[in-house]
Amino acid sequence: MALQASDAVVPGLGLPSLRSRLRGLDLWVPAAVLAAMAVACFLVPLFGHVPGPNAGVLSQTRLPPLSRGHLLGTDTLGNDLLSRCLYGGQVSIEVGLGSVALGLMAGGVLGILAGYKGAIYDSSIMRLLDMILAFPPLVLALAVASYLGPNEQDVIFAIAFFTTPATARLARAQTLKLREREFIVAAELAGHKAWYILRRHVVPNVAPSLLTFGLTLVAVAMIIEAALDFLGLGIRPPEPSWGSMIASGQSYLSTSPWIVFVPTGFLFVTVTSLNLLGNALRTRWARS
Amino acid sequence: MGSLVSASGDRIVSAKRKAVVRDREEAVKRDREGAVEPASEPGAPLLSVEDLRVELVSGLSVVRGVSLRLDAGRTLGIVGESGSGKSVTARAIMGLLPRDTWRVGGSVRLRGRELVGLAPRPLRRVWGNDVAMVFQDPMRSFDPTMRVGDQIVEAMRSHLDIDRRAARARAIHLLRMVRVPAAEDYVRLYPHQLSGGMRQRAMIAIALSCSPGLLIADEVTTALDVTTQAHVMQLLKDLQSELGMALVLITHDIRLASAYTDEVVVMYAGRIVERAPTAALLDRPRMPYTRALLDSVPRMGMAPHEPLSVIGGRPADPTALPPGCPFHPRCSFVAEVCRESEPASQELEPDHLAACWFPL
Amino acid sequence: MVLNLTQVIGRRILQLIPVLVGVTLINFLLLNLLPGGTAVAILGASATSQEVTVLTKELGLNRPVMVRYWDWLWAAVHGNLGHSLLTQQSVASLLGQRVPVTAELLLLAFLIAFVLSIPLAVLSAWRPRGVVDRISNLLAMVGLSTPNFIVALVLVLVLAIHLRVLPSTGFQPLSAGLWPNVQTLIMPAVAMSLVLFATYLQVLRGDMVDQLAKEDYVVAVRARGVSTWRLLVQHVLRNSLFGIITVVGVNIGTLIGGTVIVESMFSIPGVGQLLVSSIFSRDAPVVEGVVVMMAIVVVMVNLVTDLLYAVLDPRVRYGATG
Repeated sequence: MALQASDAVVPGLGLPSLRSRLRGLDLWVPAAVLAAMAVACFLVPLFGHVPGPNAGVLSQTRLPPLSRGHLLGTDTLGNDLLSRCLYGGQVSIEVGLGSVALGLMAGGVLGILAGYKGAIYDSSIMRLLDMILAFPPLVLALAVASYLGPNEQDVIFAIAFFTTPATARLARAQTLKLREREFIVAAELAGHKAWYILRRHVVPNVAPSLLTFGLTLVAVAMIIEAALDFLGLGIRPPEPSWGSMIASGQSYLSTSPWIVFVPTGFLFVTVTSLNLLGNALRTRWARS
Repeated sequence: MGSLVSASGDRIVSAKRKAVVRDREEAVKRDREGAVEPASEPGAPLLSVEDLRVELVSGLSVVRGVSLRLDAGRTLGIVGESGSGKSVTARAIMGLLPRDTWRVGGSVRLRGRELVGLAPRPLRRVWGNDVAMVFQDPMRSFDPTMRVGDQIVEAMRSHLDIDRRAARARAIHLLRMVRVPAAEDYVRLYPHQLSGGMRQRAMIAIALSCSPGLLIADEVTTALDVTTQAHVMQLLKDLQSELGMALVLITHDIRLASAYTDEVVVMYAGRIVERAPTAALLDRPRMPYTRALLDSVPRMGMAPHEPLSVIGGRPADPTALPPGCPFHPRCSFVAEVCRESEPASQELEPDHLAACWFPL
Repeated sequence: MVLNLTQVIGRRILQLIPVLVGVTLINFLLLNLLPGGTAVAILGASATSQEVTVLTKELGLNRPVMVRYWDWLWAAVHGNLGHSLLTQQSVASLLGQRVPVTAELLLLAFLIAFVLSIPLAVLSAWRPRGVVDRISNLLAMVGLSTPNFIVALVLVLVLAIHLRVLPSTGFQPLSAGLWPNVQTLIMPAVAMSLVLFATYLQVLRGDMVDQLAKEDYVVAVRARGVSTWRLLVQHVLRNSLFGIITVVGVNIGTLIGGTVIVESMFSIPGVGQLLVSSIFSRDAPVVEGVVVMMAIVVVMVNLVTDLLYAVLDPRVRYGATG
């Protein structure tokens, strides 16, 4: 949930050597896990034989994993846990990707502008964003989501309030570093317009580290979303979500711990894979 | 937090010191009992380097067979352009090259004791104690967050069985010895508060703190202005004669080397291309490279606007050495054989070696 | 530019004021401009438009935003943050009751994270890729990937339910004794500290290994015969601790955010629990007050850490003379 000091890494120049860098287990294993998770959450409910997330029968409440017909068990209402986790995963992934995509775009634009233009743009934009960043992410999301309503789009919007300034800060730092590099100065001296330089030189160089940062942000966003749901201020039952599943399982923690730990496992695996993937990419970019 | 850390650090240091003292006593006993120590024989050199070879783990050779000898109290100059391998040689002699990046072969004997391949712990005891090194950039040689005096004290207490108070007093004494004015005040300053020249002196003070027999100075005057350069060099020479220390001076400035050394060694592309007593070298350089180096330095008595002679081309690139003599692309006397095979070192006069097919 | 320390501090404090004002403005706008408005937030989504209009007029919510903000700011500066719609208690006094509890929890969590991460980081940097390093890396990865509420649940399951060593909820203030107090705070503090611990560990270890590899003074100090252990602890660690001061400041927001869930789960009467309960009871003035206070604390802590850095780093404190 915390941002690390190592998140700002100067990217390598350009994409041509991408292929040589995309090798190695530490990158492909988490990537594969994430792909599997995405496929599972979005495709299995469509094509697989999975009971509905709210099709529970009261005679089948709190069944342990590996019970008949319920691979991962059932919850307090008899709903199949696997199914709820998959559908809940859809929500988490959508919220994570959505809020970060928004943040990358908005924050990226703002940060690059601030870093490149400097002066009044820089100080005004960054002042504003720094003030937004003063609000703890969860608190910000809580406040916004509670007023907007417990639905997915508004949760995405709420979390984007945090991802935007976080991205902007990194984008600005990267742009500032880049600005000093000779090829930017050379391009300016050659009379190219600012737009052109930004599009052709700045963005391609800043983008890789922003994307890597984005991965870590998705993990953070998913945790915030789960926390919102856990508190009951995000996605609420009967709509499935990992956080609300964990919350509803609390009272049966000692007797039927799987109700809490199955969604925990899903969340943990996803978030860890995101972090590992982010690390793997970061070390590769840093090596160049 | 500071006092908490140093209290526990103190305990560790004192424990280690006890171990150090114990090991030293054992070593002394061993030496006395039977291990041959050639340095105890009269006439044996303090430092003896034989066929030192240094390469990167990737296989790139940076030092390709360097041999030299240095007697106690004498001064040796190692001269070369950047890329000649002189700094790597110095670090290899000390054993400062990290093992995961460098491979060192050959022999380096200090007082008869082989340093190449020595295990980390005994090697660490050699550092600062028997041989000390002074670096080019004094600002980067100090921990910026620790007072200068404390760093001198630390160096002493790593080797000597000495308590804090005595160490502090000695630190002040050392600073006085390197002619830092108001030493009692300077001791409490942080490195960035000192001027360049003072920092250099402080670094020398640290190097001397455990009275090493050999001091290696790696480009110590390069970053200084000419006047300060002269002061620091004079200081080094005075200290040397006071303490009976041997000195290795590494520099790219052949004039500097020739002014302050007894013997000079010229390096090019990782090898020694000429070695001679300083006077002989100045009088009659045998290798064209040496001659070119001497010629390229501006001299008094030159006519105004007289063009400086420069050595054309660039210093040899260790990753792409030309065949034959590495200097041949830039040599005014190049001949066919120079392009084909590398000349070996020949003794042209007693103590005067040169590696050239056609020594001058 | 050479400024003495007092000037630097003075400057930063002056710069603080517009930031604080800006933060309060953002807070106010955020919570008063959202679709639905405060009246809907108070009455709930099922309110009729008539009820909304009446309440809006009653609370003066139909006046221009900036006017309302100015009123609020003026009152706030005089210590009046409004009153709880639920209990009529003044928001300021509510906060005053709860802040010490949260402060204690925060301090405990920070100390646990800080104190545990340092020795592990040193041992990891001492032997990179050794056993300790690998375990630390694993711990850090787990810590960063596990939300605090899950850590809390695991702790409760093991320590409160199975082993029955600690109470699963409740709070005892210091006045009730040190052990009862710590008993109720230790699990929530550990739950909150895990993420911080992981961050500090990674940053410290990374910085120390970086220094050992890249800093020139490391070679020079080693060449004096100083032992690697002493080098690590007395030099590298100290230099890294400077860097981590900034990290502490940056992550204070996360720490404060963590109190929200953890206090709710463990029934600790702190500021975080207040926020959650006032959101549920739609107590707008309280929500406003808590959120703005949290943001202000973050700003202040960042100021303090920046100043601390300036004060402690001898390069800044004594300035260069040559």
